[in-house]
Amino acid sequence: MDMELNETQRAIEDSCTRLFARKAGPSRARLLRAEGGFDRPLLEEMQSAGFLDLFDDAETGPLAAALVTEWASTAAALAPIGQRALIAPAAMSDIPPLVVAVGEKGRKGPVRYAAEADLLILLDGDDAQAVRKGDFVAEPVDSKFGYPMARIASAKGTALAAGSGRTARNWWRVAIAAEVAGIGRAALDLTIRYLKDRVQFDRPIASYQAIQHRLVDCHVSTDAVQWAAREAAYHRAPDELAASAAIAAEETAYRLFYEMHQLTGAIGFTREYDLHLWTMRLQTLRQEAGGINSHAHDLVHARWG
Amino acid sequence: MEFDWSKDETEFRSALKDFLSSELPEGFDAFDMPEHDAKEFSKTFAVKLAERGWLTPAWPKAYGGLDQSPWQSLILSEEMVAHGEPRFGQYMCVNWVGPALILAGTDEQKEYHLKRISRGDVMWCQGFSEPGAGSDLASLRTRAIWDGKDYVINGEKIWTSYAGVADFCFLLARTDGEAHKHRGISIFLVPTDAPGLTIRNIPSLFFDGAFNQCTFENVRAPASWMLGPENGGWPIIRKLLVNERVGVARYRRAARSLERAAKIAKAEGLFDDPTVLEALGRARAACEAARVLVYRVIDERAKGRYPDLTAYVYRVATIRAERAVYEAELHIEGLAGMAEGSVAAKQFGHAVTAGVATGTLEMQLNLIARDIVGGVGA
Ligand SMILES: Cc1cc2nc3c(=O)[nH]c(=O)nc-3n(C[C@H](O)[C@H](O)[C@H](O)COP(=O)(O)OP(=O)(O)OC[C@H]3O[C@@H](n4cnc5c(N)ncnc54)[C@H](O)[C@@H]3O)c2cc1C
Repeated sequence: MDMELNETQRAIEDSCTRLFARKAGPSRARLLRAEGGFDRPLLEEMQSAGFLDLFDDAETGPLAAALVTEWASTAAALAPIGQRALIAPAAMSDIPPLVVAVGEKGRKGPVRYAAEADLLILLDGDDAQAVRKGDFVAEPVDSKFGYPMARIASAKGTALAAGSGRTARNWWRVAIAAEVAGIGRAALDLTIRYLKDRVQFDRPIASYQAIQHRLVDCHVSTDAVQWAAREAAYHRAPDELAASAAIAAEETAYRLFYEMHQLTGAIGFTREYDLHLWTMRLQTLRQEAGGINSHAHDLVHARWG
Repeated sequence: MEFDWSKDETEFRSALKDFLSSELPEGFDAFDMPEHDAKEFSKTFAVKLAERGWLTPAWPKAYGGLDQSPWQSLILSEEMVAHGEPRFGQYMCVNWVGPALILAGTDEQKEYHLKRISRGDVMWCQGFSEPGAGSDLASLRTRAIWDGKDYVINGEKIWTSYAGVADFCFLLARTDGEAHKHRGISIFLVPTDAPGLTIRNIPSLFFDGAFNQCTFENVRAPASWMLGPENGGWPIIRKLLVNERVGVARYRRAARSLERAAKIAKAEGLFDDPTVLEALGRARAACEAARVLVYRVIDERAKGRYPDLTAYVYRVATIRAERAVYEAELHIEGLAGMAEGSVAAKQFGHAVTAGVATGTLEMQLNLIARDIVGGVGA
């Protein structure tokens, strides 16, 4: 057991930090959202740097892929990174194309990045299909909740190996948790900085204990989901750990959304202030992979039959 | 970063598991027993543990320990707690009274006390809190005044768990009334049968013997009862209280309670009820979060640091887990949970005291805030 990054992980972190400082960040996310697009160039750079193919690399393994997903999310990267770096390599044996979207049969509602995707992985219970671009129709829907989304009108794919639906769902949960952890960290940092600067009643707002305790509760929840995601990824997303990480993600997403916006006041509801570039995504992430009902159902049945 | 147990650690856990399941009846829980019986049971049991070196495995070899790593201590704590904590109150002696003696004791104190602790036939209680000193522990007013021959102790300790069955009290008292409040405190190792010390049980809502009041009236303490330097008690306490905060794998005990509730839910066909599933899922995830967060504390300790921020974060997560488990149990048992002996009724005491015992939730929040928010005045 070792809770610190090893040399390889640290090297990946360093290059990610440099890459995201140049190519991601809130202003980039704002621009992309205004245009309704997503960050294909970033994804391409990540691919050529090897950051999307860590999952099957014996030296790094899925934990590194989950860390990259988390860090990209802290940097507000707007691209399906968890889908490509974690879910696709777990579900299929071929090398996945660059842009991957993940949805579920029989669940209503749009799918993140579906209109842009080269490949749609559609879960169907314990099984899954791979649907190539051209074999599915995705109709974009407007959404203020952080991501480009599209409704799947039709899809005709080929079955992946038996059981890959279950595997993909577990990795989906880990990816959600890693993404929520990354968002949580960024939103909390931003909010703490803001509250240390902003003075009301002649004191920085962050000096009020009532405020501090709520910030700390958010910090604890963010730590919880971050470590749950990392541990689950390390152990290759077994049913219980994956569902448990997703439940931690739901708890954190719920808590952080309200608290970050409440504690920031009116400016937090503007498009000009950066907070929404992270927090609005939390609403979407809370609903994915069936949301809390599905995570809890699967956790309980995995553990207690 | 990696999350594997080493071969030694895995073997240690499975040896402990085998031993505990062969020694203890199914469903054993020391905290369900009357306090006196639990103490007697723990004495016999501790001897068996001591024979295997498992009573004080984290202590240095020089003091009868096995020099085990903090990770092995965690495993020990998890397995003991998962099997109903047959050491009962002795975990306190093992986790922090002993280490305090190792850190600051004289040779005579070590010789006398460490031997007894590592044999398992002694119980300690912790005389910290006072009627006027709770969260603000350093404001304690129990006085120990040197009269040329002995320290003479006068004052009142309260909420002292196990005092009714303990042999010694690890007492904090003020030896300098003039100094800054943190600098005038000393530690005394007081036998509970010392003349002038009276102990009164305070009935509590939870466990037999959870609370006692200890009144010190001219208790004469020879200098040999003092641990560490005069007026130098506080730094010792600060270092060791982290041991107390993470010493008991509460999340593991809560998870065990949840297992019982889940069994009931399954037997009663409640796995079709989404509110039950959600409550169970949330409770299990909360226990798991506390488990993974304690690893960060242990990791720091294993690397030779004295963890603080990670330990406070872990405690908050543990308090959440205790409460979430109780909530899930209420969803499952409903009114049946109000009956004595129900799973929820047993969990209740743990759930509600978790945020107060060993330092309140708010104190943890204050301490974390100091770290993550930092210098912002007032
Ligand atoms: C089951 C149990 C066993 C215990 N066993 C022992 C024992 O063996 N030995 C021993 O010495 N003590 C023991 N205690 C006592 C325990 O350490 C104290 O209860 C605890 O430190 C809190 O003190 P208090 O109860 O006086 O509460 P107070 O300090 O009066 O606090 C009351 C409330 O005010 C809040 N508060 C206080 N100050 C602040 C602040 N600055 N900011 C925000 N909120 C604040 C607290 O968090 C709490 O919610 C035990 C307690 C329990 C419940």
